[in-house]
Amino acid sequence: MKRFRYSLPVALAGVALLLPHPAASQEFKPSKQIETVVHTGPGGGSDLFARAIAEMLQKEKLISQRMQVVNKSGGGPAVAMAYLAEKKGDSHTIGFYTGVWVTNPLTTVEATVTLKDLTPVTRLVLEPAVIAVKADSPYKTVKDFIEAAKKNPKQLNQSGGTVLSRDNLMRLLLQKATGAQWNFISFPSGGERLSNLLGGHVQMMVIEPQEAGEQIRAGNLRVIATLTEKRLASLPNVPTIKEQGIDVPLIPQARGMLLPPAAPKEVIAYWEGVFDAFVKTPSWKQYVEQNQFEDAYLKGAALNKFIDALKDQMREVLKEAGAKVIR
Amino acid sequence: MDALGNLLLGFSVALAPVNLFWCFVGVVLGTIVGVLPGLGPAATIAMLLPLTLKMDHTTAIITLAGIFYGARYGGSTTSILLNMPGESSSVATCLDGYQMARQGRAGAALGISAIASFIAGTVGVLGLMLIAPPLARFALRFAPPEYFALMVLGLAMVVFLAGDSMVKALLALLVGLWLATIGTDLFSAESRFTFGQAKLLGGVDFIAATVGIFAIGEVLVNLQSRAGGEIVKLPRGIRNLLPTLQDLKDCRFAFVNGSLIGFFVGALPGAGATVASFLSYGLEKAVSRHPEKFGTGVIEGVAAPEGANNADAGGALVPLLTLGIPGGNTTAILLGGLILWGYKPGPLLIQEHPQLFWGLVASMYVGNVLLLVLNLPLVTLFAQILRLPSHVLHPFIVGISVVGVYSVNNSLFDVWLMALFGLLGYLMRKLDFPAAALILGLVLGDVMERALRQSLMMSQGDLAIFVNRPISATLLAIAAVLLCLPALRWVRAWRSEAVAGEG
Repeated sequence: MKRFRYSLPVALAGVALLLPHPAASQEFKPSKQIETVVHTGPGGGSDLFARAIAEMLQKEKLISQRMQVVNKSGGGPAVAMAYLAEKKGDSHTIGFYTGVWVTNPLTTVEATVTLKDLTPVTRLVLEPAVIAVKADSPYKTVKDFIEAAKKNPKQLNQSGGTVLSRDNLMRLLLQKATGAQWNFISFPSGGERLSNLLGGHVQMMVIEPQEAGEQIRAGNLRVIATLTEKRLASLPNVPTIKEQGIDVPLIPQARGMLLPPAAPKEVIAYWEGVFDAFVKTPSWKQYVEQNQFEDAYLKGAALNKFIDALKDQMREVLKEAGAKVIR
Repeated sequence: MDALGNLLLGFSVALAPVNLFWCFVGVVLGTIVGVLPGLGPAATIAMLLPLTLKMDHTTAIITLAGIFYGARYGGSTTSILLNMPGESSSVATCLDGYQMARQGRAGAALGISAIASFIAGTVGVLGLMLIAPPLARFALRFAPPEYFALMVLGLAMVVFLAGDSMVKALLALLVGLWLATIGTDLFSAESRFTFGQAKLLGGVDFIAATVGIFAIGEVLVNLQSRAGGEIVKLPRGIRNLLPTLQDLKDCRFAFVNGSLIGFFVGALPGAGATVASFLSYGLEKAVSRHPEKFGTGVIEGVAAPEGANNADAGGALVPLLTLGIPGGNTTAILLGGLILWGYKPGPLLIQEHPQLFWGLVASMYVGNVLLLVLNLPLVTLFAQILRLPSHVLHPFIVGISVVGVYSVNNSLFDVWLMALFGLLGYLMRKLDFPAAALILGLVLGDVMERALRQSLMMSQGDLAIFVNRPISATLLAIAAVLLCLPALRWVRAWRSEAVAGEG
């Protein structure tokens, strides 16, 4: 039924095709609401990211149609990815991905759709991460923590997401580089991860600086290292992990926008245009700063290269971590 | 004195006409969203978030919070009238609420749930105002072992949800626990019992399961018995519809129980309103003088869980506003809103933005009054639904169920799942298995399994972690006592029988 509801533009397009037009290549413009798929429930990281962008795009008048956020949660990103795959060729559906869209298909049999099956259009941000401990903990540097973990193997705890999350992969890389060992306790929500750290039930957490910011200011948390190449502007006194003499590969947490499989060229071009303009707006710059993201706009071939490299890196890290890599 | 001054500041904010208006809009929207199964407060708030950007920020959070706690009022309506939980937090309300409706006491059940919601909602706000920071600090002492003990306590209550046969109740519970394991395992990221279905990776949708088992199962049973043809008698006039003074007296303890359990469990980031409502229902039954009547339509069985899920709303705001930690979906989206409006939610929020916090607190007092005034007259209106003849009512129930379940994830798969659970519910009723026990397993199983595994990871497999910690040891001890209670009763019954035999 849906197909006939928008019969007027379709008919007009038909007429337009019949007319002897010199410029045959039609520019794409959304003609109805844009379904915007995210893999978390309302309030999750991707959900808030998508809603904020939808809001800013409208405010900056860069899109003419409403973006309707649709939550397809379940199985990490698997349900959302399968849903997008079903929308093959649909020009009014977009999605927002994160790094887990790369890792999940590598290890999950049911997750048959990979990120490259869909049509990634842009990478927008990289999320930095820091290592935080409770403010009254004895660990002032990463070395302190590692030494303590070496002295008491498997006695210290780190809270985080699933075993495939960046938190855990960073732990595995750190363990491998230093020989220390500690436990990783999975919690489904960020709230529980943080409250277990604040309650002293776990001793360490890999956390995003924005999430930790207020706890640091209130004197509840201390950041002992940043997992970044350079020091963070918001934490100028905290040395990076490399500065502290531990050389581990850093796992980028990317967020970006994509289209369903077999997206028409003009639709890709349209969204590239929208985001080219968008990342220059003050709204976007302010948003990135507020959330302490790293502005990391990529598209086209460079984006493809990034995704391939990320996939290879993840495959190696997962294998080292002892996960069963199936793709 | 300080609190009083702040509260006055709060009321001066909350009673400003614009805030009063938006508070009203929020609670009305919340009630509607609560009444309809499916679309929940989290999704509604997410949808409305863009509209609030143009508002004053305090007004915005007053509106959105109104949707949040307003939905808890509305959730009971379809539970009571149609055996169809409007929100997952009002599943426990079905147990006695629907039975009351079948006995022609729908009005009393709806009325008491509005009153319990009002009392507990107000207690929740009082708690938020007076003890938020110390409570948040206390809640931080809850780690996985404590959550595990709390869930064991909840499961021990299955003893009280058992009908005639304990074996059947335990079987139903085990099925519920198994259903809770379906989906992607958090710890290994491997999938369990998904039968190769990507759509099951996220687990069994709770709304689909409960609506199927309760509402669809009930329709099927009624269709077969043909007894569903008789229309429930409904007294005329609002006075006869509302709860009597005796009803209110019967619910004295339920009001306190629901308020306290709801508020406290709400403040724990890993539990939630559904757990709170079941715990409070179980406690109510455990201390009742006539526990055997629960499930047949006792009014306390409605008041306790309805109170709990409303006090939970106040409790859930405690970690959000004092620590910047969201406990669930809805509070996570409120947190997102705060960030979007330019606040930095965290431990310093109340101190640095007293107007926001106190304005919200005062608006919640106002909102609860509005909700009571709004909901009591609605009782008469909603109760009329039961006058519908069954050939209209049953398709109506099925229709709402399908739409509601579909709207949660926009997934047709969930609708089929609901149909399957409807059949299961029908069979369970025919074979006398208590559906409540299955649902309890499904609600608590997820958190319990997680907490158990987290605890054992922390202790390197040492079970002593559960008894070495004071809070978890206490909770487990209470659970043990609960489990022994029916045994005591059997012994007593046996002894009195033996004495009678001798005489």
